[in-house]
Amino acid sequence: MGALETITQKIQDKAKSLLESGQAEVVIGYRKGSTPLVAAPYFARTPSDCENLIWSSFAKLNLANYLPNRTGKVALVAKGCDARSAVGQVTENQIPRDNLYLIGVPCSGLVDPAKVAAKEGRPIQKATETDETITVSGVGFEVEIKKAEVLRRNCEVCSHRSPTMADELTGPEAPAAKPDDFADIKALLAKSPSERLDYFQDLIKDCLRCYACRNACPLCYCPVCFVDETRPQWLGKSTDPMDTMTFHLLRALHCAGRCTACGACETACPVNIKVREFNRVLDKAVQENWSYEPGLTWEQKPPLTVYQPNDPADFIK
Amino acid sequence: MTLLGKVISVNNPYMPYPVRIASVVVDSPDKSLRTFKFEFLDPEDENRFAYLPGQFAELSVPGQGEIPIGIASSPTEKGYVLFTVNRVGQVSSFLHNMKEGDIMGVRGPLGHPYPVEALKGKNIVIIASGFAVTTLRATVVWLLHPDNRPNYGRITFVYGARSPGHLLFKDDWEAWQKRDDIDVYVAIYKMVPGWTGKVGFVPAVLQEICPPAENTAAIICGPPIAIKTTQPVLFEAGYKPDNIIMSLENRMKCGLGICGRCNVGPEYVCKDGPVFTLAQLNELPPEY
Amino acid sequence: MTEYIVKEDALTAFFQAIANGRRLLAPQGQGENCRLEVATGPVSLDYGNTHLSPKATFFPQTEKILAYHKKADQPKYNQYQDLGDHAEPTVIFGIRPCDAKGLAISNKVFQNDRFTDPYWKGKYESALKIGLACLNPSPQCFCAAMGGSPFGEMGLDVLAYPKEKGLGLKPLTPAGEELVKAASLPSADLASEIKDLEKKAIEAQGPLDTYQIINERKIMELYKADHWSATAEPCLGCGVCTFFCPTCHCFDIQDETSEAGGVRMRNWDTCMSPLFTVHGSGHNPRPSKTERVRQRFMHKLKYIPIKQDGVRGCTGCGRCVVMCPANIDIRTVAATMAQASA
Repeated sequence: MGALETITQKIQDKAKSLLESGQAEVVIGYRKGSTPLVAAPYFARTPSDCENLIWSSFAKLNLANYLPNRTGKVALVAKGCDARSAVGQVTENQIPRDNLYLIGVPCSGLVDPAKVAAKEGRPIQKATETDETITVSGVGFEVEIKKAEVLRRNCEVCSHRSPTMADELTGPEAPAAKPDDFADIKALLAKSPSERLDYFQDLIKDCLRCYACRNACPLCYCPVCFVDETRPQWLGKSTDPMDTMTFHLLRALHCAGRCTACGACETACPVNIKVREFNRVLDKAVQENWSYEPGLTWEQKPPLTVYQPNDPADFIK
Repeated sequence: MTLLGKVISVNNPYMPYPVRIASVVVDSPDKSLRTFKFEFLDPEDENRFAYLPGQFAELSVPGQGEIPIGIASSPTEKGYVLFTVNRVGQVSSFLHNMKEGDIMGVRGPLGHPYPVEALKGKNIVIIASGFAVTTLRATVVWLLHPDNRPNYGRITFVYGARSPGHLLFKDDWEAWQKRDDIDVYVAIYKMVPGWTGKVGFVPAVLQEICPPAENTAAIICGPPIAIKTTQPVLFEAGYKPDNIIMSLENRMKCGLGICGRCNVGPEYVCKDGPVFTLAQLNELPPEY
Repeated sequence: MTEYIVKEDALTAFFQAIANGRRLLAPQGQGENCRLEVATGPVSLDYGNTHLSPKATFFPQTEKILAYHKKADQPKYNQYQDLGDHAEPTVIFGIRPCDAKGLAISNKVFQNDRFTDPYWKGKYESALKIGLACLNPSPQCFCAAMGGSPFGEMGLDVLAYPKEKGLGLKPLTPAGEELVKAASLPSADLASEIKDLEKKAIEAQGPLDTYQIINERKIMELYKADHWSATAEPCLGCGVCTFFCPTCHCFDIQDETSEAGGVRMRNWDTCMSPLFTVHGSGHNPRPSKTERVRQRFMHKLKYIPIKQDGVRGCTGCGRCVVMCPANIDIRTVAATMAQASA
């Protein structure tokens, strides 16, 4: 049995026992998707539901997104970044620690369906996977692709593939990936302000303002988002490029020091905008100024949500 | 302003008629209600704005937006249109600060009127709670007009509000009380010194005086709770769902059955309503 | 009407002839990047479908409709003025039958039993629409299950299909006939070939499902069914399904002002947003995502068929199936609606 099947089995077993013992009322995990290269969110409430739970390298959404405002005890299937998001939600008082059970999955990185589609141009009707490869097929073809060649870009650089704070791990720790060295961001920041503006304007030129990036993000749990607020109305509702840019800048700033690089925003974007580019600039700043990575302890709050007398202040002119 | 494409010269249902605010009357002690009297800048627009009681219009405030409001005047009242506006949101708050003489827009008439044609030959009981009285005031004025009154049987008007100060259109219903071709019952919810009318919630008052159901239709307008508690009284008196007529409110934008937000099942409150019978609503999702 | 053939070497001349000085929109780019745009490069004939539906051509995401001056010394100050319908004579080549049907369904909303939306009408009626039939439907396609066809004709003036690296053409309306005649093409009897290709393309989509059951069930029976909370639970509440849907037509009207005046514009809106229906009082008829998700599927599969003689509001283009980040698949939901008990 490969690692994927082992993890799937362990998730199912654990989910069943949590539901049977009453330690959880619902287990949020993944099921097989209805289309190729997709694993979909699934809410298991009875022991028999648990047979639908799977682990897959297509499990692209961050399920911590479903935690805020939830009452009752919940167990969450979480890879490294998702577990850190869930921990962040506990520190931000979105869910009581006692209501949360983390079923941790050591993750080897998820597959980017866009990269697969770019590699195999023909319409894909079916996709299967082993630990190292995926096999896609369609009318008159079947092709095997190495997962390492089609990982999501946030999975290629990942600081914590295995959950650090899980209540239980479903397998041995995953081999570490190299962390983000921000080389491209450093190069971007070395450019002139107008060149940087051009870069980001070009990045979001296809944005539809559907807010899928926001809605897929476990950090975006405000009851009313600033873009939707009407009294006062902070932002126009049209496709005016200035309004669109304001949305992206403020969204990213609201996530500064809280983002765990899970990539759910980019996964959800229907026009393939690399929304994380905004976040990465801020990730870099937070790591440099506070040596902080979110979601690694149950206590420490994100640096930009607290004040400390020794906070850096030399940027105030 | 750059014109793009073809000019939409006729029948642009998004184009408001320009109007001048002829007067503003503060209607309630807390100043949350004001009644606006508008005059059309182009007198011809008054003819184009041909309406019947129960219809509504979008009050169009440049730079602020539009709000759908029931028409409080009757088409038998010439030279102006009346709207009572509750201050709740951005547009209504701005409108409350506008003054006599200011220019704005009125877009409509929209929706269907109360079925005055189908009700010919019938008795009508009109039941109003709170400031939802507006289109019912229009209905009574229209029914009492000499051209229309002979076409209908007994007319009963029941109206309740929180306090005497919250009762709108006092001059109108006081005048109706003096007539012998309409029965008028006006109530406040809690007794205050000096009040000589009825006291109690509208359903309780209705229970006391409810006309027999035979050949009678009821028109109800009010907040959801008043509509809900009035229905059992009518059922008890023998009214059937297809003779209970109501007007719905939902969030609206276009008023034309296009922009999509006011639907109750397959029906758009703006285009297919706002007037529905209880029999119709019983077959639809309660999304209002 | 007879059919016509465009040989491979006559394609360029054909596109010039049908444009005839008008704006020509045609598939540009390959794969996911394929868009219906002003044709500046070669016209793609081999693509699944355009990433976005063509609705924005007739119903832009943002459209300025009226404007006014707010300075009292300006003529007609505070009175709204017409900004025109933004229409221009257009020929569109390459709309897929599912999308043409979607536009035809929206057309009945924009031009309904009581009102005509002049902004839609101007653009929709100044465009001649040439559809491109699908010989090989994509894996996410299910137009036939929704009562359509890969060779569907609804909402089109001409139906084209790839034929020996050129095209076969079937005019469907007098305007379409005139358009094709202007290109001086050889005529042919293609009826039986079209029939065969259509049969093959429908079979490639897999078996038909029993959506008819939904038609037979009463609104409240479907509405009160107990699956809606579970159906909606994974929904993120983004508007991706609505933005990509060829029949979603909801919009918001907004005023924006500057120092001199202001404009009234409309913008795409989505029933997935909690603010879409919220009353001024704070009351919300569709307060949670359960009601909102139910609204979307009831609208597509029950309300639109009631209002449009049984034509379903989903055309089976499959965009929402592919785009939904939470994999809420309308085919699964329809099957659940047909099976679930109240």
